[in-house]
Amino acid sequence: MNNTDLVLKIENLTKIYKLGKKNVTPLANLDLDVKQGEFVSVMGPSGSGKTTLLNIIGCIDRASEGRVFLNGTDITSFSESNLYKIRRDNIGFVFQSFNLLPYLNAMENVELAMELSGKFAGQRKARALELLSLVGLGGRELHRPARLSQGEQQRVAIARALANDPAVILADEPTGNLDVANKDEIIRLLLELNVKQGTTIIMVTHDEQVAAQTHRLLYLQGGKIVKDKQQKINVGILS
Amino acid sequence: MLATLSMVARSLARKKNRTIIIIVALTFALTLITVLPSSINARQSLTQRALDSLIFSADLLKDQVTLSATEIECSYPITTTLSMSKGSSLLEDGTLIDIVLQDTMSASLSANIASLTDVVDVVPMRIEWRTESQLYNIYGIDINNDVFQKNPSILPSNITAGRNLQAGDRGVVVIDEFLAKNAMPDGKFETQEEYEANIAEWQAKEYVFNVGDSFEVLGRKFTVIGIEGDALNYRTNGVTMSLEDLQSITSNTGRVSSLKVFVNDADNVNSVVARIKALDSELVVSSGFTQLNTVQPLQDQVASLIVVAQNNLNHVRNIGLAEIGVSIVAVVSVILFMMLYSVRERTREIGTLKALGASTSRVLCQFMLEGILLSVVAVVIAIAVSVFVLPQLSSLILPVPIQEGVALAWDANGVMYLGRTTVGSMPFLSGEAPRVIDASLGVGWLLLSFGLAVVLGALGSLYPALKAARTKPAEAMRYE
Repeated sequence: MNNTDLVLKIENLTKIYKLGKKNVTPLANLDLDVKQGEFVSVMGPSGSGKTTLLNIIGCIDRASEGRVFLNGTDITSFSESNLYKIRRDNIGFVFQSFNLLPYLNAMENVELAMELSGKFAGQRKARALELLSLVGLGGRELHRPARLSQGEQQRVAIARALANDPAVILADEPTGNLDVANKDEIIRLLLELNVKQGTTIIMVTHDEQVAAQTHRLLYLQGGKIVKDKQQKINVGILS
Repeated sequence: MLATLSMVARSLARKKNRTIIIIVALTFALTLITVLPSSINARQSLTQRALDSLIFSADLLKDQVTLSATEIECSYPITTTLSMSKGSSLLEDGTLIDIVLQDTMSASLSANIASLTDVVDVVPMRIEWRTESQLYNIYGIDINNDVFQKNPSILPSNITAGRNLQAGDRGVVVIDEFLAKNAMPDGKFETQEEYEANIAEWQAKEYVFNVGDSFEVLGRKFTVIGIEGDALNYRTNGVTMSLEDLQSITSNTGRVSSLKVFVNDADNVNSVVARIKALDSELVVSSGFTQLNTVQPLQDQVASLIVVAQNNLNHVRNIGLAEIGVSIVAVVSVILFMMLYSVRERTREIGTLKALGASTSRVLCQFMLEGILLSVVAVVIAIAVSVFVLPQLSSLILPVPIQEGVALAWDANGVMYLGRTTVGSMPFLSGEAPRVIDASLGVGWLLLSFGLAVVLGALGSLYPALKAARTKPAEAMRYE
């Protein structure tokens, strides 16, 4: 792969599951390039392969065929036991149901990602404080998830995803569990990260309004990209 | 590692009630594991000590009987009545009796025996069994007769403090060590107030009665001139004084209950016994020879007791080992099932950890640490429980090895034998009966027990932790 501003390059990606005696193909010969700093939303009906695509990019699932380059590294060549390093150092996950550890407070949840990558306690603490402040949770660092609103919990999850300066943030329906006010806040936060910090984001969503606020909209159907549309970001909402 | 440990601790703290129940169960099993081996050892050493003492005592008895081969003791038959009172004697068949020595021996009988050929000396004696406040025997010996100097065995032996009785002694006593340690000081304090103020300090002394103290016998005060150590003779638990003093305080002037006859040669003992019986057929006459015949059966009894004790000990050890085995299985099972449940319950959490970049070994380590931490907390409590309540636990969880002890006893004819008693829990002959198992925990064993808990915690959590570590993140994230 020669194009150095590509964060992600997918060539001929196919994923085949065995479901009983039948083969199911959620992704078939899919090609995709994502540039550094792009905010890509992925839409499509249920079973179109959105989450499978995200899982393969995020190294929590394996491709059946094809190659996936992340920052120039072919992640399909990695063994299962070494994939955790790619996840740890290159990927930031944001889940629909936040997936915060309930017995850790906001700061410790953010620190956890850095602890796994071997950062020292002092370094972790400073970075966690900085990130929680960035997502607007300064002063609520010691609150456990149960004492935070759903919007706040998703902010902690975003701060956690940013902790190790990943090459790409993969967000699987990050607004799916949120009310309208919180949904707008989270999209505004993701846009801000993308615009101001140049963070590359790939986001799966069912919400057209949310998808409309990203640089690029991919529409998946039958395991293929059937629509790839460039969009203009409304930076006005960031002020 | 520290951060992981903190995470593990908080994960356990989150499910507080479950964690407490698991720790209580583990503590129970680990307490058994901690206590049982030292309990078994303590019983083993206690049994050994008791058996050693038994063998020593039997040998001593044999020596003593051999030494007294030229002595003959004469008395009228003991009359016995059934009794349940404190201080009564316990016969081999378990019957409690009061023993009364007849004291109708005449002075002329003593003179007739003294005149027999081969008889060297005759010493009149009086023996009283007292049960008023506590059991002790009073021995009155005719110490005006200089024969006791030639035959010291009729006087207390093994004087450990002060001196022995001597000719002309009046108003003095020799008391045995047990009595010196345990007698209630009836005659020591003049008033109730003085008694209450001083009793605690008095009982804390090594000997409550020492040489020079006043010792009250049947209302009369005597001065203690000597303490008799454990000599395994029939004066055990007794007070010895001059015959005149004993006759005086019991208002039995001139009355004796037995005669000690000394013969010039052991070969003539049987002939003298026959001639004494010819003088008065009602007399019970026992000689050292008669007692010598009882030594072999007595040694056989000792040998059989050793076998019984060893069998009992093996039985106790087997029960202990079985209890340890069950406890080990219990600890591993409790941790295994609790951790399996926890892994299942936290599948999404495992998926999240893996998605964040946790390695297989990191997840393995976290879940194994949970099992080990539970076990370690439980063993720390178990050790504290074991140290503070060990004696109670010890006798609760292991059966007492021997229900019957043994003690020296005499039959109606004054012949010694080893009788059984339920007083102590182990065989003993004299001295203090070991009622409480003295099990002490060594630091070494406590450390071993701690290490064992770590190993069992690791063993119990290994499979669940492997299951967690091998979870595929994509599947875990889909888990509801």
